[in-house]
Amino acid sequence: MAETLRMGVTGAPEANPLRVGQKVELLEISRAWLVDPVAGREGPGEIVVRDGILEAVTWLEGDEAEGIGPDGVVVAPGFIDLHVHLREPGNEDAETVASGLAAAAHGGFTSVCAMPNTTPAADEPGVFARVRGAAVASGSPVELLLHGAVTVGRGGERLAALGELADAGAVGFSDDGSPVKSPVILRNALLYAGMLGVPLFEHAEDTALTVGAEANEGYVATVLGLKGWPAAAEVVAAERAIAVLAAVLPDAPGARLHLTHLSTAGALDAVRRAKAVGLPVTCDVTPHHLGLTDEWVAGARRWAWDAIGEDGSARDPWADGALVAHPYDTACKVNPPLRSAEDAAAVLAALVDGTADAVATDHAPHSQVDKEVEFGLAANGISGVETALGVLLAAVGAQRMTLGRAVAALTTGPARVLGDRAGRVGARGLTERAPADLVVFDAGAGWTVSTATLVSRGTNSPLLGRELAGRVLLTVADGRLAYRDAEA
Amino acid sequence: MSAPTESGAPGTAPLAAREPLTEHPWHHRHLLDVDGLSAADIGLVMKTTDAMKEILARPITKVPALRGRNVTIIFYEASTRTRVSFEVAAKNLSADVVNIAASASSVSKGESLVDTIRTIEALGAHMIVMRHGTSGAPYLAAEVFSGSVLNGGDGWHAHPSQALLDLYTMRAHLGDLHGKKVAILGDVLHSRVARSNIWTLTAMGADLWICGPSPILRGFDAWAARWANGRGPNGHGGFTVTSDVDAALAGADVVMALRLQRERMDAGLLPSLREYAARFGLTQERLRAARPDALVMHPGPMNEGVEIAADVAVLDRSVITEQVANGVAVRMALLYLLSGVHSGWHPEGAIGG
Repeated sequence: MAETLRMGVTGAPEANPLRVGQKVELLEISRAWLVDPVAGREGPGEIVVRDGILEAVTWLEGDEAEGIGPDGVVVAPGFIDLHVHLREPGNEDAETVASGLAAAAHGGFTSVCAMPNTTPAADEPGVFARVRGAAVASGSPVELLLHGAVTVGRGGERLAALGELADAGAVGFSDDGSPVKSPVILRNALLYAGMLGVPLFEHAEDTALTVGAEANEGYVATVLGLKGWPAAAEVVAAERAIAVLAAVLPDAPGARLHLTHLSTAGALDAVRRAKAVGLPVTCDVTPHHLGLTDEWVAGARRWAWDAIGEDGSARDPWADGALVAHPYDTACKVNPPLRSAEDAAAVLAALVDGTADAVATDHAPHSQVDKEVEFGLAANGISGVETALGVLLAAVGAQRMTLGRAVAALTTGPARVLGDRAGRVGARGLTERAPADLVVFDAGAGWTVSTATLVSRGTNSPLLGRELAGRVLLTVADGRLAYRDAEA
Repeated sequence: MSAPTESGAPGTAPLAAREPLTEHPWHHRHLLDVDGLSAADIGLVMKTTDAMKEILARPITKVPALRGRNVTIIFYEASTRTRVSFEVAAKNLSADVVNIAASASSVSKGESLVDTIRTIEALGAHMIVMRHGTSGAPYLAAEVFSGSVLNGGDGWHAHPSQALLDLYTMRAHLGDLHGKKVAILGDVLHSRVARSNIWTLTAMGADLWICGPSPILRGFDAWAARWANGRGPNGHGGFTVTSDVDAALAGADVVMALRLQRERMDAGLLPSLREYAARFGLTQERLRAARPDALVMHPGPMNEGVEIAADVAVLDRSVITEQVANGVAVRMALLYLLSGVHSGWHPEGAIGG
């Protein structure tokens, strides 16, 4: 590792280590596996960063490339997360802008899009100013992009200050945490946001079907006596939103619908069909919905692809002796819920075939007070921005998708969803003479997820205690240091 | 004092120093569910219950087994029979019993479950018996409590002592349940009794039938399908799910009716109590499809005239009050077994042999 990574202030790299926020004056990485999703290329290579600029990208061939593989040190463009909750203002016990951006950098992300469900909600530009002030004060170079609320106070009744929010740089509109309940408001929001050229990020859930719901409706919830959270609640809402989008397009050709954190085969099928007829629909999926399943609520801890039988149906964790942890772990409670192994397989398939445009983490940190309670009373959400890469690499390791697809889903995919609002680095390739924006991770080195290793204030992760591949060694955002592993 | 043992005088020696109760030792620190009980575990509970029944038949039903042990009973849901049954059981074993009605405690001031359990521990509890409206709540209690937690019913999930007393009652009349047909009739979706009975009865090899109207059977077909054709968890047979009452009752050895709550109509799950009673109520006429000596059971409290006709509840073959009596013995057995596995403490004197 020390042979491949040399970084520091010119002339005295060891004596004068960089601090977060400082410009990377010199960084040389030799003999690494480079992934450039813009060029559609990956392979052995070297990079040099000087004065914060990616000065040289050299692809190695022949003897020089010998022994360099995708299972060692990997250099990729910095990741973009379309969906995080930073909890500030209003719930700083769970996360702050500063802790959230630091956690993002630990996860390899150099841009994050914060959801507006803070207290107060970001339904007017004043909240944006406050959040941006906190980001500047943090000193983090991670780019903070902001979603604005669709409705005032996310109450679902009156449109928020959409135009003013767009002028203030909103990259999307969302009432996330809740759907836009009224189809009339949804229609009007799509029309107005379409006029502004801003995508609408919809949390697809028919809440009439999820009153009191606790866990994915199915075998596990039935056995555990938990109130079922039916897949149909998401499918119905996704189909409805797509139908409303189709109806507004003649009046608002710029209307764009993005369905976030889709978790069911049915909703992903709806997106697949909508895309096939050319509707401007995009969607993202989370690492936990492709890697984890509802059997984790019962105490299983195996990956989704290991929880499915050869006939394509979910296995029985009780019959398999797969239950290794306590049931009812509230770290597994999330909205939408961890689904069946069949749904998780559909989520992964949608990512591989491009139906899902991006992986977004839905990073949802919570304080211990909100999680150390009865399962049914616990807050929904998983602290996920630091474990996303590890879960995707587990899928890569199990040969469920390629490293290239995983990186694209974290870079060019989300950049395309954001379109021309994608922020300072746009399409995210390894582009020479542009400000360095990249992540360096060791696919062959593991790290153990724990309350000590997580940077986020929210340690509500079902992966606690688990070793994940892909230790992030270094994250550089906008030419400045965002994260550096203590041993790198 | 307890029944004499071969090693001599009753009294002070720990159980471990005496003749073991059985070849099979008890390893569970808590009793949170019945899904983790092996057939051998269940056999030990049954055998220990036999010994407790023998104690209950004496003129003085008190033994010193749990002398000096604090059993705290905390119920977050209203209950008379289960709470009193646990209290009587603990007192018969000479435990010090603390009763907490959760609505009257600091719980109503917003104290969290975790804080409540820590407080109970600080007040000296060795065992907690807990009833809670949320599925899984006893698991949270067990994580923070250093003693033993006995689940007295959690949400829709589990009611271990009820399933074990049901099993004990069935075995008392039918012996080995292997191949015996047991029909459970009623609101299965919301029933912790039904779920726990599914585990214990399939472990015993019973031919279990689950019956009710479709909206309150939701999910159980899929469960039965998972366990069909010998694919259930180790040692558990499958079961049958149907809305056809006549098929469920045909040739049954045991018919158990479950309580139907009025809230189910308000939630739009069923049209009316009247329609439920007409289609699914356990009447003498319907019962004719079962074996002539079929046992009639109900975990209580009953809605007579809804899920069970008043004249059925008092038939000779109704064992509903026997269930209540057996409940005390089963709970004595559970308290006794759980008390002996933690931190080297052993019950005082041996029970049975």
